[in-house]
Amino acid sequence: MDASQPAAGAAAPVESLLAFIAQEGCSDEEFDAMALRLFAHQHARNEPFRRFCQGRGATPRQVRSWRDIPAVPINGFKDLTLSCQPPATCERVFMTSGTTRGDVKGRNWHPDLAVWNASFRGNFARRFMRGERRIRMGILFPDEAAMPNSSLAHYLQYAVQEFGAAGSAHYVGAKGLDIAGVTEALAQAERSGEPFALLGASYSFVHLMDELAAGGSSFRLPPGSRILDTGGYKKQSRDVDFEAFYDALARTFGVPRQRCINMYGMTELSSQFYDDGNAVVPSRKSGPHWIRSRLVDPLTGGEVAKGERGILVHCDLANYNSVTTILTEDVGVERDGGFLLLGRAEGAQAKGCSLAVEEFLKAAA
Amino acid sequence: MSASRVIAGWLPGLADDEVQWHALTFGTGPGQVQVDVPVLTPGQMRALAGRVRQSAREVLQRLTVSDIIEIVDAAVARLLDPADPCRREAERFLPAITGYDAEMVRLGLASFLKTFRAPQLHRFVAEDFANPKVLDEFQPAAKGGAVRAFGPSLLAHVWAGNVPALPLWSLACGLLVKAGSIGKVPSAEPLFAGLFARLLAQVHPPLADCLAIVWWKGGDASAAGALFAEADTVLAYGSNHAVDQVRLQLPVTTRFLPYGHKLGFGMVSRAALDTQRAPATARLAAHDVVRYEQQGCYSPHLFYVERGGRVAPREFAQYLAAELANLQRRFPRRALALEDAQAIAGWRQSAELRTLAAGGAELLGGADAAWAVSYSDGPQPLAPTAANRCIQVVAVDRLDDAVALVEPHAAFLQTAGIAADPAELFRLAGLLGGAGVTRIAAIGSMTAPEAGWHHDGRFNLADLVRMVEIEQSAERAAERFAPYAQEDLG
Repeated sequence: MDASQPAAGAAAPVESLLAFIAQEGCSDEEFDAMALRLFAHQHARNEPFRRFCQGRGATPRQVRSWRDIPAVPINGFKDLTLSCQPPATCERVFMTSGTTRGDVKGRNWHPDLAVWNASFRGNFARRFMRGERRIRMGILFPDEAAMPNSSLAHYLQYAVQEFGAAGSAHYVGAKGLDIAGVTEALAQAERSGEPFALLGASYSFVHLMDELAAGGSSFRLPPGSRILDTGGYKKQSRDVDFEAFYDALARTFGVPRQRCINMYGMTELSSQFYDDGNAVVPSRKSGPHWIRSRLVDPLTGGEVAKGERGILVHCDLANYNSVTTILTEDVGVERDGGFLLLGRAEGAQAKGCSLAVEEFLKAAA
Repeated sequence: MSASRVIAGWLPGLADDEVQWHALTFGTGPGQVQVDVPVLTPGQMRALAGRVRQSAREVLQRLTVSDIIEIVDAAVARLLDPADPCRREAERFLPAITGYDAEMVRLGLASFLKTFRAPQLHRFVAEDFANPKVLDEFQPAAKGGAVRAFGPSLLAHVWAGNVPALPLWSLACGLLVKAGSIGKVPSAEPLFAGLFARLLAQVHPPLADCLAIVWWKGGDASAAGALFAEADTVLAYGSNHAVDQVRLQLPVTTRFLPYGHKLGFGMVSRAALDTQRAPATARLAAHDVVRYEQQGCYSPHLFYVERGGRVAPREFAQYLAAELANLQRRFPRRALALEDAQAIAGWRQSAELRTLAAGGAELLGGADAAWAVSYSDGPQPLAPTAANRCIQVVAVDRLDDAVALVEPHAAFLQTAGIAADPAELFRLAGLLGGAGVTRIAAIGSMTAPEAGWHHDGRFNLADLVRMVEIEQSAERAAERFAPYAQEDLG
């Protein structure tokens, strides 16, 4: 793989990327080589991104490592068309739910899902399946037909397709959460002694647990059962919330906290981060070898000292069609082999009596 | 220098060891300051309310307004004296607590405090009462009979924010209408109000029990509830949400005076945009931006600049940028918390993305500058920036065009800074007043309201009082019962 001489304007190196994802780990040099190759590609093929880079004085000649690649703020996915391939020719577009700025949604175009799916498979197998080939899954989220632009809907449906055992099913439909259905599935799993996996959005778990608590029911799922929740941290910024949440999961479903996995993913990325359970919160998150993260001062973009809080920047090589490197709004702190996710950096509260942006937006909504 | 510690609050009748204290810490390292704030039980709060109400009746209500003005003037004179221990305490701790530059705090305090000297306080009273003596005794009413203004027997103040000394506004209002006052300090600046109470007690010891300064943790309904049940009038400052939380705790009979967060802006007419006046106006605008880092309700977040002058709006933005760069040397911006940095970064990002998406937009000030000017060639709606010296400059063909851009936000309007010729000033003032603006100031004075201003367009003193009237009928009837009355026996 000759990545030191990126050919500007060349087609996306999808084959090399798939091979890169398939290999066992990578060296720093290999990661940089692929990152620079993709940067050159995106710089050449993506006009808004090129202008963004010009504003930062970053060109393929000057960028020497993945750390030098200008990080595009996630708002850029709302305001700019960040796609190397014309969007009309792309097979899929994933969109954010658009909660912070009304109806303006961030969009991530995928020419096809080969790389996205490959990125998902190996990582999910290692971090969630942990050697198990298939497991019966209950999905607390709508399916892809209902939400064709949701990356999470695709994630969960693809999980069922690739790793779900017979009897796997979605329990959120047009009528909302099917409490009776999921209760029946949980009871049946409890009787059968076969491991069961419950996966979905964190808020769906909260809703389900409220309903079960109201009905006085709880379960002892068989050994090997596991839980995956995602997306709940934006509203839960305090450790005590994590504690209560994972305690409640363990209590309600009989799944020990170390088998309750939280997935951290974003529409703007094509890869996911996982922790190794939530016996201790906040848990350390880490990703596969094709994604790297750093923690920065959001203003200067400079990296913060290890152990200091900063804003997460991710360089995801699987994001070959939009931009590899994004500046999130998530606060984290570095830990050996990963980072702690501390929640979203809420807009600063008004310190004086001048109107704060958040209050203004709320009033305008 | 090791970290220092100071006690906040003013609790007449309560010894320090009778109450619990909560430590608030500000800053890090050797400059760190710990401020201990009192945490009262509901019972203590009720007792305090009773004591303050009683003392106000016995002491404050027997003074004339002129007596009170003299006392406040003497206390403010001490705060204006650089050698005074209270002044030194304020200068020592307020920069550390608020994070504002020490020199900015010093100058800001002086310019604010001088609006509370005796002549200004007399003016303040005269603004709301044509005959200030109505605050002391019954005065003849124009329609006949007599009238007297009574302040609340217990006035509760809920302050917000960290702009130093701001509680002095409502404290002075309370004193002038002879109300017993209990003020709740914000966690962001818990020191000044207690310091002022201490000064007043030193200047006029009988006043010591006429006011109290307390604190409670946000969301602690028990201490707050105890005070709100006792007060007959409640003043609250803060976000709409915070103010609404206070409102929900009040009995329906309690008079409630909310002061929500506001959004300031400026307008620069082509008359002010020649080669001499434009740089001067930009310098004044920069001062308004830098003063308290745009945290004031009167602070500007956007300047609408008219096209057609000798100096184009874009050049004005550049002058403003240059002045902000200058002021950074004189008044460096405080160190930013991660959340503030993220807010600025977010604001910068949107400004930057606008420059990529559309022509005519520009972001002045690099990522390492402690200020930023976002310039737009086309109309932009009024919106808050991330403060901390982030300012928008928007070109408009005519300043009248800007009125429509601010009008949708009427509920958040207060101060507009205007640089225009006299005829235009009055014309624009008419339009802006109709749109919701309540205060029009010179650019450069936006952040220093003059004595006697009507905060948010309200009558700050008149809103606090009850007018008690003796009708002519009562007066006439009384005549009949006078010992000297001549019964008409005919």
